[in-house]
Amino acid sequence: MDLKLAIFKPMLKFAMERNGHGEALGFEITKIGRGQVEMTFPYKEEVVGNPITGVVHGGVIVSLLDTACGTAAITTLTGPSITPTMDLRLDYMHPAEPHQPIYVSAKVYRSTSNVIFCRGSAWQDDPENPIAHCVATFMTVDTPSISLGNIIRRRFNRLVRGDKAYEREVDK
Amino acid sequence: MSEQLQALQASLHQAREESSPQQILDLIPYSSFIGAEAKLENDAVLYWLDRRASNIGNPSLPAIHGGVIGGFLELSAAIEILYTLDVDLIPKVVDFSLDYLRPGRYKTIYASCTVLRQGKKLVNVTATAWQDNPDSPIATARCHFLIAK
Repeated sequence: MDLKLAIFKPMLKFAMERNGHGEALGFEITKIGRGQVEMTFPYKEEVVGNPITGVVHGGVIVSLLDTACGTAAITTLTGPSITPTMDLRLDYMHPAEPHQPIYVSAKVYRSTSNVIFCRGSAWQDDPENPIAHCVATFMTVDTPSISLGNIIRRRFNRLVRGDKAYEREVDK
Repeated sequence: MSEQLQALQASLHQAREESSPQQILDLIPYSSFIGAEAKLENDAVLYWLDRRASNIGNPSLPAIHGGVIGGFLELSAAIEILYTLDVDLIPKVVDFSLDYLRPGRYKTIYASCTVLRQGKKLVNVTATAWQDNPDSPIATARCHFLIAK
């Protein structure tokens, strides 16, 4: 058992699910392992991209895969760093079925000191018949000041002091 | 043809006649989910995304979620097709490639798109996003859309 990761996991899950956009989308991270992440996204009317078919917008798949790959990338880090996305490339194989959840998995297949390479996949019924798959690369940037503790502190302040105080802090 | 499709096509024609790309955005629920807006400026469509808390990805910087930037550019590219080309169906995205150049800070993001090639079935569109200065983009995207029925 990877103790460091075990402690880090719930914090990471919280940071990803409860940041502004994560919360708005309402996905759930169902599994976090070293270099491996799984997520579930329930269908939502608000994010429809085609009003006739009810299919969710491709942008949602971008967000889900970016989050899954980004989270998987973070789990391979050893120090206080952030992993901004360098590039993300998606292929859409077929439209998502409306009113059905979307499952996402991501895996780091190579991690170097500067760049982390990741691939991800989104599917509904059959993982072998994905809606989309992606490859993403992440940079590792050492930033001791931008720690997860910092994110949680701000998030906690927002919960306690409300959105207005948070906006003021953000404006500074 | 279904009534829904006819209504959609009528709205598309009206938006083009009234030179209002915003009317096309309003047809797509995802655009109000992220808060995307569009207007004509110097004969080109300018897209923008005002800051809102539900688009934040990293609260400690704070930075806009990378997925929102991607979704916004993909949406803008699709609207560009619907507004500038004679296409009557919502284009289907086939692939999407996004380069992140700078962090998206917590303020308005602007975007502009260019249709590089229109074939019978596929359209290639590029989209660029910036915040303060169009010469220092925060992200560029390239996508293919299927416009065949």
